[in-house]
Amino acid sequence: MIRPVTIALAVARKDLTSEWRTRELVPALGQFVVLALVIANFGFQIDSHNAAAIAPGVLWLALVFAGLVAFGRAFTAEREQASLEAMLLTPAPAAAIFAGKAMAAAMLLVLCEAVLLPALTLFFGTPLSVPLVAAVLLATVGMAALGCLFAALVAQVRARELLLPLLTLPLWIPFIVAGGQAVQVAMGASGGYNQALGLLIDFDILFVVLTSLAARFVLDD
Amino acid sequence: MTKWAAAATAAMLAAAGLIFLYAPTDALQGPVQRIFYLHVSSAIAAYGCFAVVLLGGVVYLWKDSLAADRLARAAALVGVVFTTVTLVMGMLWAKPIWGAFWTWDARLTSTLVLWMIYAGYLLVRRLAASGRQAARFAAVVGIFGFIDVPVVHFSVTWWRTQHPGPVIVNNALPPEMLLTFLVTMACTLFLAAVLIAIRYQIETLTDETPAPAAVLDSGLRPESAR
Amino acid sequence: MSTIIANGLTQRFGADLALDSVDLAVDAGEHLAVLGDNGAGKTTLLRILATAARPTAGSLQILGLDALRDRRRLRARIGFVAHAPGLYPALSATENLEFFCSLQGVQRTRAAEALALVGLTADATRPAGLLSRGMQQRLAIARAVLHDPKVLVLDEPDASLDSGAADLLAAVIRGRTVVIATHDRPLANRLCQRTLVLRHGRVLGAGSRLRVVR
Repeated sequence: MIRPVTIALAVARKDLTSEWRTRELVPALGQFVVLALVIANFGFQIDSHNAAAIAPGVLWLALVFAGLVAFGRAFTAEREQASLEAMLLTPAPAAAIFAGKAMAAAMLLVLCEAVLLPALTLFFGTPLSVPLVAAVLLATVGMAALGCLFAALVAQVRARELLLPLLTLPLWIPFIVAGGQAVQVAMGASGGYNQALGLLIDFDILFVVLTSLAARFVLDD
Repeated sequence: MTKWAAAATAAMLAAAGLIFLYAPTDALQGPVQRIFYLHVSSAIAAYGCFAVVLLGGVVYLWKDSLAADRLARAAALVGVVFTTVTLVMGMLWAKPIWGAFWTWDARLTSTLVLWMIYAGYLLVRRLAASGRQAARFAAVVGIFGFIDVPVVHFSVTWWRTQHPGPVIVNNALPPEMLLTFLVTMACTLFLAAVLIAIRYQIETLTDETPAPAAVLDSGLRPESAR
Repeated sequence: MSTIIANGLTQRFGADLALDSVDLAVDAGEHLAVLGDNGAGKTTLLRILATAARPTAGSLQILGLDALRDRRRLRARIGFVAHAPGLYPALSATENLEFFCSLQGVQRTRAAEALALVGLTADATRPAGLLSRGMQQRLAIARAVLHDPKVLVLDEPDASLDSGAADLLAAVIRGRTVVIATHDRPLANRLCQRTLVLRHGRVLGAGSRLRVVR
């Protein structure tokens, strides 16, 4: 008896195990975010006065670019294409396979965030709090669903480096707007944190449902 | 088809006549305000086109209808053209009125997003393997794009409640302006429909005589034994 | 009724006509060899038979089901050995198979059985990326029979297999309805009862193995 949740978890476990054994992506992402912070420091002339104002922007920039890399990788390897097909030629539903891959990719981005947020605190002196982490995690969910769906799409066409950001960024904007606001408040600005979080949850639900429905058209013919 | 094209051209000329000769000059904004008629009509025509794209995509995914896919293709191209026109006219209007070509308010941001998504749509069509794959992927992009635009609009509007920005002055329209606007909008929608129909015919012809696969098309077809 | 019935299978990629109105029928338990030069359309045809690809036109019935409409149900009963093995290099041979066991909804014990069938038990714990090409191909074959499919489609499985290929394949295809693409005519003769020859996407000729001449 095939249950979609079992499939999704099996796929996620497989991806995470592969990543753990090869350890290619997470160190690269971690390095990338630290580099981004260093560049931001010199590019923006960060000091104790403007750190809280600039840090949220730097956070989202780093997250968006890391996300593009992390989700882009979920489907690109040539081998993945042949093995993706092997997965589809089983009774497992395409949506479940997609969910598993999106969960694994989200997990990898979360690991990257585990480097990014403390580094932000370290370099810019911004507070690291539960509201901050909550906002970032909630945004990651929706961004992962969308990023992986379009990564699966562009993996099958040419010019993927051009197409993935072009398709994904417009869809990530609501998350960046709401998440950005939430992060700003968590770092000391005034504003509606709860509202922002509510929006993030709404967007998450909307796009997770939509991407699950669309997965079978993107993965399979 | 030629007589429809001529009719659409005539309609646009008539609208232009109204815009420049009939509508009064705006007291506050001056002659620049006349851009508004075409700018807003063009935006509405663009949304209309993308609604057609959405419909075509949904019908394609549901019923495997090639005609629906063709309609979506045609409407997407026309829609992107109208969106470009909207953005350019908006910028031309913004500079004298607000002093800046661009501000990140809800409408501008969501129109830019609209443009990006459907430019992406056209690219996906071109880059995917022609036929089923291109149609399938484009339908997905079209559906997500259409849903995303109001979501973006809403997010930015909400964000503006947190960070108030420039406000677009919305005076009530005197009757002559309203009439001019409605006529222009009708003519623009008519033009859009004609353009879509022409494009649809072109797409039908292209489907019947497909172009040879480009040299770079490798890797999309299953590898036969080499 | 034949197990596999294909009518007018056509596949177009842009302007390229890869398959032109191919008909074929395979009875239950029969083994069909598909021969042809490179670019003749063998892989295209096999992918359609395995439900990995949809034809531009034509109809296909497998095991009494419409292959274009009932793909999910059919996939549980078809095994496919594609041209590329499509394995996970970081996972061991056993882990690769056990993963597909959960996707297929079969018991994990099948993994060990399949490994034994293809002679990979000794290398069960080696990462698939470290296996030789021949061993990877054997692992791909093992994966294709995990769910004991009634229909097996193999795309040039002998191309990378090392010695003993014929015996291995004979054991694997026993009792199943099989379509196998190959360049190796003696192998085709040994394993299959009938052949189909493709050229430029069309059926050049078909017959029992005794009647196929160059």
